[in-house]
Amino acid sequence: MNRVASRAMIAMVLVLALLGGMVFFCAEYISKAKTWVQEPGSPHLYQNGKIAQGLILDADGAVLLDLSGNKTYAPDAQVRKATMHWLGDRTGNIAPTVAKTYHEAMVLYDIANGIYSYGSAKGRVHLTLSSRLQTAALKALGDRKGTVAVYNYRTGELICAVTTPTYDPDNMPNIAADTSGAYEGVYMNRFLQNTYTPGSIFKIVTLAVALESIPDARELTFSCDGEYEIGSGKVTCESRHGQQTLKQAFANSCNCAFAELVTMVGRDKLQQYVELFGIMDSVSFDGFETKRGNFDLSDAYNENLCWSGIGQYTDLINPCAYLRFVGAIASGGAGYDPYVVDRVTVGKKTTYEAKPIRQGRIMSQETAATIREYMRNNVASKYGDENFLGFTVCAKTGTAQVKGQKSNAMFTGFLLDEKYPYAFIVAVENAGYGRTVCVPIVAAILKELE
Amino acid sequence: MPDFSQLAQAKDSYIYVYDTVLRYLLPALVFLLLWRVCKPLLTFRREPEIWAWLVLESGKKIPITHWENVIGRSKRSDIVVDFPTVSRNHAVLRRYADGSWTVRDADSKTGIFVNGSQTPFAELAEEDVLTIGGIPMQLVPISRKQEKRQAKLRTKAAGPVSTMVNLLLLTAIQILLLLGFLLGGQQEHAQSIALGFGGIMATEWGLLLFTLMLRRTAFEAETIAFFLCSLGMAAIATVRPGEAGKQLIALLLGVATFLVVGWSLRDLERAQKARYLAAVAGIGFLILTLIFGKEEHGAKSWIQLGSMTLQPSELSKVCFVFVGASTMERVVSKHNLWLFIAYSVAICGCLALMNDFGTALVFFVAFLVIAFMRSGSVGTVGLAITGLGFAGVMALRIAPHALRRFATWRHIWEDPLNAGYQQTRSLMCIASGGLFGLGAGNGWMKNNFAADSDMVFATVSEEWGLLIAIMAVLSTVALAVFAVRCAAVGRSSFYTIGACTAASILIMQVMLNVLGTVDALPLTGVTFPFLSNGGTSMICAWGLLGFMKSADTRQNASFAVRITKEGRDTDE
Repeated sequence: MNRVASRAMIAMVLVLALLGGMVFFCAEYISKAKTWVQEPGSPHLYQNGKIAQGLILDADGAVLLDLSGNKTYAPDAQVRKATMHWLGDRTGNIAPTVAKTYHEAMVLYDIANGIYSYGSAKGRVHLTLSSRLQTAALKALGDRKGTVAVYNYRTGELICAVTTPTYDPDNMPNIAADTSGAYEGVYMNRFLQNTYTPGSIFKIVTLAVALESIPDARELTFSCDGEYEIGSGKVTCESRHGQQTLKQAFANSCNCAFAELVTMVGRDKLQQYVELFGIMDSVSFDGFETKRGNFDLSDAYNENLCWSGIGQYTDLINPCAYLRFVGAIASGGAGYDPYVVDRVTVGKKTTYEAKPIRQGRIMSQETAATIREYMRNNVASKYGDENFLGFTVCAKTGTAQVKGQKSNAMFTGFLLDEKYPYAFIVAVENAGYGRTVCVPIVAAILKELE
Repeated sequence: MPDFSQLAQAKDSYIYVYDTVLRYLLPALVFLLLWRVCKPLLTFRREPEIWAWLVLESGKKIPITHWENVIGRSKRSDIVVDFPTVSRNHAVLRRYADGSWTVRDADSKTGIFVNGSQTPFAELAEEDVLTIGGIPMQLVPISRKQEKRQAKLRTKAAGPVSTMVNLLLLTAIQILLLLGFLLGGQQEHAQSIALGFGGIMATEWGLLLFTLMLRRTAFEAETIAFFLCSLGMAAIATVRPGEAGKQLIALLLGVATFLVVGWSLRDLERAQKARYLAAVAGIGFLILTLIFGKEEHGAKSWIQLGSMTLQPSELSKVCFVFVGASTMERVVSKHNLWLFIAYSVAICGCLALMNDFGTALVFFVAFLVIAFMRSGSVGTVGLAITGLGFAGVMALRIAPHALRRFATWRHIWEDPLNAGYQQTRSLMCIASGGLFGLGAGNGWMKNNFAADSDMVFATVSEEWGLLIAIMAVLSTVALAVFAVRCAAVGRSSFYTIGACTAASILIMQVMLNVLGTVDALPLTGVTFPFLSNGGTSMICAWGLLGFMKSADTRQNASFAVRITKEGRDTDE
């Protein structure tokens, strides 16, 4: 009997194996449970592959989208249209990127309570976008295609970013059946996913390169007789600008002067600085990634090289990346990455809070100050301060020629008002002159800022 | 039937109370209950008991401390007689419940002699002289008075009051579980769920009453079983509320099996006779399955009987324990071991044909445990070889099915929508539930395949919290440890082997079920005893529990242990 009694310990081997397995599982639970909860398809977070619940709100706390059930968008159709590209639509043609990126933060998880919460506290994603500015920008754009964006150059907070064409997710138009072209590229958020020939707003870049690379560039003078011949080709202006300083040439947006400036800077320097400024890079924030721009001088000689410094040739800029560049000038040579999600809260707890991400310095403070001064001069001497409702605006217009089509109207700049540290960019496709098309759009937004 | 139509109105206030109190109260009550129930199982004193003296010519008195004793030269014998003329395992001295003693020759070289004449088996009276290897000795059993005193000193199982307090605690837990479904969850199946929980409560109190009527007070093992059944009912209530009644019937059948197994074990002679019946039944169930079974998910282990599906291999487990358990007289004989090995091989063949990997594994472990406990120096080699053959046949037969499971093991997150679906969902749900759970009916697991059987651990964990789910596992551990601890004071190796094998099967199933669900082991689709939905699984679990009751030798503890007048600790 002693023998059998001692052999009974074999059952203890199994008991120990079970206990060991449980300890192993508990260790896994402690270290991995949070990841398990947040895996895609986690039943309490997703329904049919979509985020099951949560709210997305604008900067003023108004609900833009309730994700639960069949989704509920804002009650105002204009707000729905103006914000749809950031929220995603019902069909999945436009992905709900914000909710996807922050779904982890939208669930209050802790290791003791799992996802249990009394009264089922929904996650709230607070966007930096203002419905007021969004609808104002949408209205100002009208039925023209393009994008308007405004962001805080001291933080990166994107307070307005509208793209057209758009549609009401609660009242889907029949896009497939449309032959007018009114919905061309409608699923694209043009601010993020499009690139434009910049035209003269690119002169800011050439100016910056010149100021950084040519000693005493401010003292340069140029003479314009409407044409600048180089090699076998030429660069032309719409009128003769005559004798002018660099500042005047910038205000006149004189192609001849800037063509000459490009030859002074040289091909390699221009390419190097454009890369340094990060204008052609993809900007990523809150799960978005912008389309890369294009600036390729490898086959550019003579007049092509000159045109590239004037924002034509093969130049392509993404509005978001360019806005960041302009923002860097506004904030003294080092800008901030944009962001659209300010914070995520669940109940009283804040589970995510945006922190301004400072881009490295891309130009000296002096250069930034000079460009600011020149851009301010543009508005004061050319565009007219009276058009900007008393705000101190620095800006540059552009009219980008697009082959076989009406020019794209481009406009970018920023405010110097302490209370309103905002930079903006406007791109309106096939609309004509930058100044006549874009200035009223910016004015319409400024009106909402007051 | 009460009217459940007005429950919806109480929902809001219930949710408030649940949120502030019940969420934390429930695991606390479960902890208190299991603490009270498991503590005596894990800590009862195992007093060395002396049942008789073996007096040698020299006057030397050897105490006999068991009911079954091997006399032999081997140091591991219970009574060591170190003479060259004595075989290693020479004879078995055995006590019966009525106080009589017998001696049986264990195939010794020199044989045994009682009062001078050689005999293979004889009853030993007080004056008889037993001669082993030329050494005469006399057996002096303890007197009836001493026996009575020994019974008085023996550790008692918890008294009836304490046992009832435990059951009251369990009832409170069951009421809280039920309230969760009636007030917090959907009210659609309220009647069925109420019937399920009410039925468990009635059964447990009925069984306790019966136990007390038999003047037995130990109810710890049963309380644990009923606790697990209640959690199982909670899983059914959320996954398949319509099956609550069916599970209740299974529980009643289970308790009946428990009583039958326990009753048959009270009398060792009867139990040994039952072995033959069990042997035939055990293999018969498997053969029936092979003939009439239908294949489901790769394994042919189900028989459709009208609207009922049966898994007879579950019942074979109980039979297998019967066949494997053995008295010392048989343990020391090689012949019996080979019979058991042959029987195991036959069982293994059937399982291989059935393609049921999980069940095969459980049987294999049961076989190993029995084999180890029975084999002395002789059989080990043969057993190991058989074991290997067992495993080999199993592997060959089941390979493609099992291989797939092994391929997914520890890789479930690489294919979360196909091969790893069940387990990834389970882990997500366990994590979502946290330590305290999401509450009755609030889980998602009900949408997962086998949420009330193979994956039931996750279902319970999600809705009632990881703490309760882990405590459920630990309560089965307490049962197993109890069975092992009882071995030291086992009255017969039949009970010790039976109880330890039963415990091993329970633990093995819990291990495969829980660790398979959480991907610590490959998923094998084995049920959690008492907890999983399934009639035959329930019956099997209760049958195995019957074996564990037969090993409980605490005073006045188990109905499965007969008490004589002298052995009774009462003053009547």
